[in-house]
Amino acid sequence: MTFLTITSVTTSYNGQPVLHDFSLEIEKGERLVILGPSGCGKTTVLRLLAGFIAPDSGSISIEGDLVAADGKTITGPEARHFGMVFQDLALWPHLSVKGNLEFGLKAKHVTKEKREQLIAEMLDLVQMSEYIHAKPGELSGGQQQRVALARALVLHPKALLMDEPLSSLDVDLNERIRKEILRLHNTLGFTLIYVTHDREEALDIGTRVLIMEKGRIERSGSVKEIRHYFERP
Amino acid sequence: MAKRIVLSSVFAVLVVAGLLPVLAMGVKSIIVDGRFSLENYKALLTLGRAQTLVSHSLALSLLTTLCATIIGLPLGILLGKTDLPFGKLLIVLFTIPLLIPPYITAISWFYILGREGVIGRLLGPSLAELTSKWLFGLPGCVLILFSTFLPIVILLTVTYLTTINPRLEEAGRLVSDWPGVLRSITIPLILPGVLLAVMLVLLLSLGEFSVPSFLRYNVFPVESFTQFSAFLNFSAATVAAIPLAIVTFFVLALESHFLREKTYQVRPAHGTAFTERIQLGRNRNWLFAVSALLCFVIVVLPLLVLIVQSLSVHAYALAIAKAGDSLIRSLVYAAVGASALTVIGFLSGYLIHTRAYPFWQTADSLTIFLFALPSTVIGIGLISLWNRPWTNFIYATPVIIIIGYIAQYAAISSRITVSMLTQIPPSMEEAAQVAGAGWFRRMALIVAPLAKRGLIAAWLVGFIFCVRDTGISMIVYPPGLDTLPVRTFTLMANAPAGLTSALCVIMICAALVPVGILTAAFKTRML
Repeated sequence: MTFLTITSVTTSYNGQPVLHDFSLEIEKGERLVILGPSGCGKTTVLRLLAGFIAPDSGSISIEGDLVAADGKTITGPEARHFGMVFQDLALWPHLSVKGNLEFGLKAKHVTKEKREQLIAEMLDLVQMSEYIHAKPGELSGGQQQRVALARALVLHPKALLMDEPLSSLDVDLNERIRKEILRLHNTLGFTLIYVTHDREEALDIGTRVLIMEKGRIERSGSVKEIRHYFERP
Repeated sequence: MAKRIVLSSVFAVLVVAGLLPVLAMGVKSIIVDGRFSLENYKALLTLGRAQTLVSHSLALSLLTTLCATIIGLPLGILLGKTDLPFGKLLIVLFTIPLLIPPYITAISWFYILGREGVIGRLLGPSLAELTSKWLFGLPGCVLILFSTFLPIVILLTVTYLTTINPRLEEAGRLVSDWPGVLRSITIPLILPGVLLAVMLVLLLSLGEFSVPSFLRYNVFPVESFTQFSAFLNFSAATVAAIPLAIVTFFVLALESHFLREKTYQVRPAHGTAFTERIQLGRNRNWLFAVSALLCFVIVVLPLLVLIVQSLSVHAYALAIAKAGDSLIRSLVYAAVGASALTVIGFLSGYLIHTRAYPFWQTADSLTIFLFALPSTVIGIGLISLWNRPWTNFIYATPVIIIIGYIAQYAAISSRITVSMLTQIPPSMEEAAQVAGAGWFRRMALIVAPLAKRGLIAAWLVGFIFCVRDTGISMIVYPPGLDTLPVRTFTLMANAPAGLTSALCVIMICAALVPVGILTAAFKTRML
């Protein structure tokens, strides 16, 4: 079943074209990885899906509903029910771990009891329960990653968008968090759209990989197909 | 070695120009006839006016701060964060009252709300009687100081908004609408900047003397100035200035303790973050109308009234005849002051930015303390220190005014330098060091050229503050060597409205021309 549809989208930034006639379909529950070098437009795809920017032309639909088209945002980011983990995590430094998770729940008018329950469950899932009152600045890099994941998932989003979330981690931590993401995906079953420039990361996380180059899709296929493509002489 | 000598010397200049005068004033206030005595303070407390001075000073500074914050914060967000039309133009317009001597705004409001003002002519003398009564008192003082210091809140809000990592707001936008994000994410993140603005407005309105003096509202700075200039009672003037110095010190100590470590380093190091502007949609037009109306009432209308009042060749000819020499002196003093401030600000800014020596923090705190200190306090302090026969070569010459400028405004040029230096990678200077360049060579050939835009901006902003200065010049100017703001202030009591208005318009032009140059230069990318 098609969950997300991007149809003939063109975008530009400061007069420079970023995406040109870009189309993509994403199935519900799949793990799509967008792979490409810096400046190829992969982050722009995530920002379009999140609703931070509108396409200059073309359209975006979620579960058949048009959410943005031809320069206009029809459904804003807060109404798309997506979670996102940013490259720099964007944890709010003035709020505790609990505060970071609670913000979205409060905005959605979730009752206090339910909020406490959801936060406890999510922190338990990412093994961060003991840090509930800590501020982001007091946590290690790996712990911050877990909190960012928990914050993105606490509202049980329809899809999780991840923008090179592991790029600043060392090799060991990178591998551990990857496993964590796959475990959470298996447990919660969300649709994952993951952006990276790292081939190994892409092949490890995705069920489908899309290679981007200069604002266009260069190649798309299953992990097996893409692995074969990379290993060709 | 050269670096240590130069940076230590700059620190010494700041101490001599600003700290020693204040200490000398404090010592002088407790020495009577060569002995320790609190007689001066007893005299102030038993005057009966002390209670009035305290209540007036507090009421004026607190109300001004409250109004400036309540209106300035949302206005700053509106102008700096949304798609409001003509946002940049409105920021420039709202900033104008800060760039001109506040008493000029008071004069223009006198021409609007005074007994023979515009209101009286349009709506009758009974209403003018009421508005005049209102102007000459707390409400009038609050109105003028509010319009003068509102830009501080707006500018700091706009500046701090640009320091927020846009991703922090986007993370909030995924689950909440903009009002929720502003309330829970944006405003808490810029809170240190807002509180800094609150502190500055509080201290500057507490120390402002020209407006309450013109509107006959007795506060500590007016008392201090009156004792000094009218009664020639230097001890009483000193004692009235001391509470201002103490309050300034304590407020800054609180700021240092509670705020400085709370500033969040939230901007990502790489410059790729795209900042989303809030789309106002249907609210865009009425929000623009309200902002434009406020701008018209507190900025454009007073300026228009002054310009209309001064529209005669005779008025300008008379103004030049009466104050042409003061105008030239103002420009020369301001140019010299701005040049000195640029050099001292560059070096102290370098010291603060690189934290080269342990005294960087003292230098940082000292410049801010002196900037926040009422100008009357610095003026009286300078007299306490320099009014001696063997220092007459300084005290009886314009050098004393330049020292006052350095003391009061070093913080501005220093801060501009710091913000410029943060944009220069440390590796630039390090590469020169590795190549064998000594400190002077590195500063002259690498750091200064890279910080050129900041240095030019520091000079122009320094020039504006020096040319508009009233408090320090009024107290320390040597006989016959006054500045234009001082001449205007002294002439306006008995001068015809046309002459006063012409002097005010000339004063405004002298302060605003550098802003025009600065804006044009940045627009044409000359800087």
